[in-house]
Amino acid sequence: MRRGLRSALAVAAATVLGLTAGCSGGGNDSGKPVTLKFLSLAWQKDSLAANKRLVTEWNKANPKIQVQYVQGSWDNVNDQLVTSFEGGDPPDVIHDDSSALAGFAGQGYLADLTKLIPTGLKNDIPDAAWGTATFDGQGGQGIYGVPFLQESQVILANKKMLDAAKVRIPTSGDPWTWDEFQQISKKLTVGKRYGIAWPLKSPVNKVLNLSLNFGGTFFQTSGGKTTVKVGPQEKEVLQRIHDQLYKDKTADPSTLGMGTTDPLPGFYAGRYAMVPAGIYLRQQVVEQAPSGFQWVTIPPLKGQTTQQGAISQTLSVAADSKHPKEAMQFISWFLNGQHQVDLAKGDWLIPTSKTAAQDPTLTTDKYGWNVATASAKSLILAPYLKVNGFDEFKSKVATPVLQSYFANKITIDQLAQKLTQDGDKVLERYNK
Amino acid sequence: MSHVTAAPTAARPPRAGRPADPSPRPRARGDRGTLILLLPALVPVLLFSVGPLLYGIYLSFTDARGGRNAVISFVGLKNFGDVLADTDFWSSFKIGLIWAVSVTVLQFLAALGLALLLNQNLRLRTLARVLAMAPWAMPPIVIGLMWRLVYHPNAGVLNAVLQDVHLLDHNVDWLNDFGTALPAIIVVGVWTGMPQTTVVLLAGLQGVPKELHEAAAVDGASVWRRFWNVTLPQLRPVIVTITALDFVWNINQFAMVYALTQGGPGGRTRLPMLFAYEEAFRYGFFGYAAALGVAITIVVLVVLGFYLWRQMKESR
Repeated sequence: MRRGLRSALAVAAATVLGLTAGCSGGGNDSGKPVTLKFLSLAWQKDSLAANKRLVTEWNKANPKIQVQYVQGSWDNVNDQLVTSFEGGDPPDVIHDDSSALAGFAGQGYLADLTKLIPTGLKNDIPDAAWGTATFDGQGGQGIYGVPFLQESQVILANKKMLDAAKVRIPTSGDPWTWDEFQQISKKLTVGKRYGIAWPLKSPVNKVLNLSLNFGGTFFQTSGGKTTVKVGPQEKEVLQRIHDQLYKDKTADPSTLGMGTTDPLPGFYAGRYAMVPAGIYLRQQVVEQAPSGFQWVTIPPLKGQTTQQGAISQTLSVAADSKHPKEAMQFISWFLNGQHQVDLAKGDWLIPTSKTAAQDPTLTTDKYGWNVATASAKSLILAPYLKVNGFDEFKSKVATPVLQSYFANKITIDQLAQKLTQDGDKVLERYNK
Repeated sequence: MSHVTAAPTAARPPRAGRPADPSPRPRARGDRGTLILLLPALVPVLLFSVGPLLYGIYLSFTDARGGRNAVISFVGLKNFGDVLADTDFWSSFKIGLIWAVSVTVLQFLAALGLALLLNQNLRLRTLARVLAMAPWAMPPIVIGLMWRLVYHPNAGVLNAVLQDVHLLDHNVDWLNDFGTALPAIIVVGVWTGMPQTTVVLLAGLQGVPKELHEAAAVDGASVWRRFWNVTLPQLRPVIVTITALDFVWNINQFAMVYALTQGGPGGRTRLPMLFAYEEAFRYGFFGYAAALGVAITIVVLVVLGFYLWRQMKESR
């Protein structure tokens, strides 16, 4: 029995030692080079290659500040960040988008970069873009990320079908109006073919961004309290899309529940002539479309204006990072003008860098780059970016309500009522 | 009666049915040894199961929110009051109940049929049993992704098959249509949970004495009558246990439904666990999310207690 007891003690001691050893380590010796963890969400082939190449170049040139590339995914980055923030071990440099920054900044998870951003980088990016990363943090208003890539909404169209219907191909200087677009959709709807596909599985950002064409902002702030508003301006785009689905019958209803990329096979097969899309979708068309498929990028539509809400991809620094200065050094190099050209081409998006935007490869008419880059002029700060509690409003209220409306389950007045009543209830939680 | 006067030195008579312990000291030492041997297993359980559980209960009485340097205050039963008034949560709970009851019942019926089949002397019975267990070996996320492909509106095999046999004339977006999303995930739930229910029922079937069937057959009972009057009553304890467990597993389902629909469209498949998850990890209301977890547990315990009580009462 005594021998058994001794064995048991030995096993327990070994286990405890094992656990202790497992929990220790990872200390930061001052003699060693600094290592920064860089969480990247790059996913397109060219973008991945560009990100990894830049990190390798940096590591070669900066032996004392080494960057460890960590691959993340847009699908679960929120969970990954929340758990790593709460666990106190976040990546030093974080790739995300500006809509996610508001919450993280308010919760104090991100470092205020205002005083760390070098003048060169600050001047190379327009103020409107900086606005997409400026939020109220725990220490007051500050810049919580460096914006570097932006997306605008365009329309990808089957060129042969447009030509056959003798439709005018618009330019950035003379875009289609919404009325014109609806007329053209009717012209292009022939037999079993629809003029347009509206993939609205995640309808909120798309609708809110496009509603700015008619001045629809969806939120108003008075006395420090933000509430939802759905007036005639906010209803315009909603009603027009709904009309295309159920009145004009120019939009294919079977694409309603689809994600942005899902209608592409039907687009190639000629089931619909046009697909509204973020500019990055051009890459998928270039890679996947059957040979001989001719397509064209249609510039942003015009309501009262061509304005659209802008969201930026950003690089931020975690508040818990032990090396914020070194992290900013890396970000500043990573996002210089030339590198932004590489990153924009990799992701098929618009760079925020003024230097990068002048690069001839981003203004060529090949693959609609000229239209994409020119669409940057239409981008303004999306009002919802500044709304505290927008994420919950979007998930709990706006997404189900918009999905119900586009599925023709509720009227536009019911939509307005639900968005304002239920939305205000959600925002109340954050107004306290 | 001689045993009453025997063993005058024994301090206490042995309890009925148990032999007297002749050497209490060595046994006590043995208990300590056993406890020490158990420690390596107990420590992780305490650290990773019991600890978080207790911490979760504690959080449910606080206003804990996500955030650096967040200050946590005790708020008593406020979170539970908010849960009671949260219509979104109760509509999610209603969806959860529909999901859990449907999956549990359909899963049981399908598993019973499969178990009866696998209990026969079929050719390749072993292979059939192994194949029937295949879904059990798959992680929920993989199941979710696989079924997303099956249900895909353009490239999914389901639409293709239904159109080939002329049951459909257009593509249906099964997981995003308001009318089909919940039934579609119920089918996946049934498919996923069937193997374990089948195994348990098969084990139960193999425990039914053959003599009872033979006696009933001699008395002229039909196959159906033997199933109804012999097999089912013999299986009753197994059925009660497995359906109760299935219900608990199903109401707590998260990963598979998250991978399939993320609660959409329009919240039609937002199960209570998805609701609680969003409160914690999307909006940062950890205290409230913990209260939701505790509330779900309490309601499930009540429903389950009532079910087991009814079953016990009927079997008496």
